[in-house]
Amino acid sequence: MISIKNISKWYGSFQVLTDCSTEVKKGEVVVVCGPSGSGKSTIIKCVNALEPFQKGEITVDGISVGDPKTDLPKLRSRIGMVFQNFELFPHLSVTENLTLAQIKVLGRTPEAARDKALKLLDRVGLMAHKDKFPGQLSGGQQQRVAIARALSIDPIAMLFDEPTSALDPEMINEVLDVMVQLAQEGMTMMVVTHEMGFAKRVAHRVIFMDAGKIIEDCTKDDFFGTQRSERAQLFLSKILHH
Amino acid sequence: MSGYDFDVIQRSWVYLFRDGMTFTLTLTALAMVGGIFFGTLLAMMRLSRFSILSYAAGGYVNLMRSLPLVLVIFWFFFLVPYIGAWAIGAKDPVKVGSFMSCLITFTMFEAAYYCEIMRAGIQSVARGQVWAGYALGLNYWLTMGKIVLPQAFRNMLPVLLTQTVILFQDTSLVYVISATDFLGAAAKVANRDYRLVEMYTFVAVVYFIISFGLSLLVKQLQSRIAIIR
Amino acid sequence: MNYNWEWSIYLAAEPGGTGIYIKYLVIGLGWTLATALAAWVIALAIGSVVGTLRTTPHKWVVRLGNAYVEIFRNVPLIVQMFLWFFVVPELLPKALGDWVKQMAPPWGSYLPAVMCLGLYTSVRIAEQVKSGIGSLSRGQGMAGTALGLTLGQNYRFVLLPQAFRIVLPPLTSEFMNVIKNSSVALTIGLLELTGRARAMQEFSFKVFEAFAAATVIYLLTNLVVVYGMRALEKKVRVPGLISASPTAGGH
Repeated sequence: MISIKNISKWYGSFQVLTDCSTEVKKGEVVVVCGPSGSGKSTIIKCVNALEPFQKGEITVDGISVGDPKTDLPKLRSRIGMVFQNFELFPHLSVTENLTLAQIKVLGRTPEAARDKALKLLDRVGLMAHKDKFPGQLSGGQQQRVAIARALSIDPIAMLFDEPTSALDPEMINEVLDVMVQLAQEGMTMMVVTHEMGFAKRVAHRVIFMDAGKIIEDCTKDDFFGTQRSERAQLFLSKILHH
Repeated sequence: MSGYDFDVIQRSWVYLFRDGMTFTLTLTALAMVGGIFFGTLLAMMRLSRFSILSYAAGGYVNLMRSLPLVLVIFWFFFLVPYIGAWAIGAKDPVKVGSFMSCLITFTMFEAAYYCEIMRAGIQSVARGQVWAGYALGLNYWLTMGKIVLPQAFRNMLPVLLTQTVILFQDTSLVYVISATDFLGAAAKVANRDYRLVEMYTFVAVVYFIISFGLSLLVKQLQSRIAIIR
Repeated sequence: MNYNWEWSIYLAAEPGGTGIYIKYLVIGLGWTLATALAAWVIALAIGSVVGTLRTTPHKWVVRLGNAYVEIFRNVPLIVQMFLWFFVVPELLPKALGDWVKQMAPPWGSYLPAVMCLGLYTSVRIAEQVKSGIGSLSRGQGMAGTALGLTLGQNYRFVLLPQAFRIVLPPLTSEFMNVIKNSSVALTIGLLELTGRARAMQEFSFKVFEAFAAATVIYLLTNLVVVYGMRALEKKVRVPGLISASPTAGGH
């Protein structure tokens, strides 16, 4: 469904991605991890063209992301994305956050959009907060709203960019639970995260990145087994001890 | 001139306020709306990734900000009739009323100042908000109109209003093209009755009360917004 | 546009008999700068004092400073100009007032214009100085006090030298504002640059040539001021101290 071929990207003369290739099949859950500055957040933003890249090709459901003729808003409306800092729209209520794209992008009626929004809020357990503003919610609640918002456009795949790293520890699980449920329902997911527990539970594959390169790209069992690179081992031992 | 005669204010206040102050306040309000509209467009151009747009807007803004308002008022006063003629395809410069001329001048001049405020406002909205809008499939105009600009306006509201108080004071400069704003009306009365001291003192007091009152309101609003956030 | 341009007008003689128009305009620039510079000296002196006083711990001094700022900030410049020109001479003792009123042109306009612009600008400088001092960390003032400096010494040797370096860039734009604002003095009869462009337009009917020349002269003046101030900023910069102009870049 998502295919990344030989992507390279520079900020000015500084190379942030070097010749990265991988693939996410339909229904597959892929976890991307690596130390900070390894390029993992950048690569996931390239998938829906939030970050431009200079070399290589990314296709989503057969459509080339880098092609200037591609209708990017249309392509993006088929992929859901969840951000590290939630990025809920602070001037809109929780429900309005969920209906905006449905009405303006998908052309649904306000009533239909609202029904869908309430269903999703119910699903993430936040029905009681439907009329609040994002600033009135806790971090964990905001991130669950953000997941619901991403789902509101009925995406064919979901991208998660460090969805739990801005959260207080006691709120991480409520967000992970929603993500696990989503994975078990068969959603195609690409998840940048350090939560190895999540990876062990639901990931099919794990990608390890360092310094803008994909170092390892293997099944979960291989990754957590014994056959892995020294750098990945070092990284894993570091985060598992924290 | 012997003694002061403050009766002159009583004799003329209907004219001063009905004609003069109405002109001043209408001009301020309309130029604010127009200025913020064009200023926002200019700000979007300045931040555009198309360098032609951003250079054009930047050039315009810097030009306006480098020139004295008095000179700009003269420019537009003489230029607008020609632009009007060009716009409707007439051969000779069209006649434009002094209010219209002032309105165009202040809209275009203040747009440059509002532009810088809106630019700061747009940049004050976190980059991730734009990403989130795009990620939902919103295009540029929807992302701007529904997500970035509402937040930019809210963040910049006190500054926009402060600029409007400055605009309110600036409109008194239409005196140089003999328009009858509040100051213009007062000047006419002052010269007719030869009561300059009384009239100009009165004008200063009125402007002070309105400007100071408005800036107190802005301050209050600012502290209220600060609490909400 | 249906307008007959005639650029050679600049070389025609102006009717006042002082020479060609371009010379007439350049002398106007001279008056603009003479007004702006004199006003700037007054503004810097009063503005620094008022701005500093507003940061002192004395409550009533702060209030007095605030009142001063509000008065000059909330009355339009042109109205203040009229007050200085028409009203103030009437309020002075009769002999002094008559002397002011009978001053030979252009001094009868120049003096009120300088006073007006000086005080008007002093308020803006007071604001900058105040926020400049406010932006220093509280620890700076305390460190000075802890060393045994008096309040006056603390300002003189610790706070103001830092604050002035911080407010230098905003002061540049204030100086350009004085230059621009001096054009308002044409309303009390001072023939500075804009006033002369206006006069040239009335004598010659060459509207756009007259204003185009003034525009170009203002733009060139701006450039000179910006580069001059930038050089000054470089000269007084202290390595490692907060730079006021944020550099672009970073993500």
